[in-house]
Amino acid sequence: MDKQLEKLISLHDLDVMIADLNRKEIREKEADLGLLAEGAQEELIELREAYSKSINRKWLGLYNQLTKHYGNAVVPALMGRCSGCLTRLPTAVCSDPERNSRVHTCPTCGRITYWAD
Amino acid sequence: MKYKAFCKFELIAASREEAISEMLELFPAGEQTRGLLASGLEVREQVGATVVHKGIALPHCRSILVDRLTIAIGRSAEGIPWPLEKVHTVVLFISPVKPNGAEEHSIFLSHIARCIRDSGDRIAAVSGQQELLDLLNFQTEEQEG
Repeated sequence: MDKQLEKLISLHDLDVMIADLNRKEIREKEADLGLLAEGAQEELIELREAYSKSINRKWLGLYNQLTKHYGNAVVPALMGRCSGCLTRLPTAVCSDPERNSRVHTCPTCGRITYWAD
Repeated sequence: MKYKAFCKFELIAASREEAISEMLELFPAGEQTRGLLASGLEVREQVGATVVHKGIALPHCRSILVDRLTIAIGRSAEGIPWPLEKVHTVVLFISPVKPNGAEEHSIFLSHIARCIRDSGDRIAAVSGQQELLDLLNFQTEEQEG
């Protein structure tokens, strides 16, 4: 898998983790289990900052723009379709065994797509 | 409702990283996906170890790499350093990122919290796989269908 694509997927999951700590119901349940360390969210934000510096500016810019617009910038391709907008993705890309070896975007919504292995 | 979980009762891992990796091998996912999931779980551990009761760890995260709540339970008689204290029972779970993913994640956290509140000591010291599944109200993935 393309290293930039791996980083974009990890960045997305990190953003979800940060957003979850803003959700009252999750924060309360994590606290109930004794899971919520003090300063965890700040630490995650710092990690995110450091991590995003390792991503190519072009892809990071696109990622931030898509996140702002859709809420989710990276989506899996499912049955040949972008799971963000359900557009059918180009057959040539879907059938390429090396399809994850570069970053692909949906031709309609522009989201970054990947194929689960 | 019973949750479905992959199960490995005799973990051979000697560290947290090894335990996470060993349990992710139970998932029906490729090597790349497992590697990315391991990174996500490790990030979560870095901001606070997920030991929720003496002897029980709960490594977890949410990820776009799974399309449903995916759970694995593991048990080590020797104990695994996590890293400051030894854990014997590990409940690893990854919730999906989808419109109701956060709610599903929250409901599962409540379920686990209830199980630990009711039977934490027994879950930590359990001696048989079926007993552990029963205490957590889980069934193995293989029992599906």
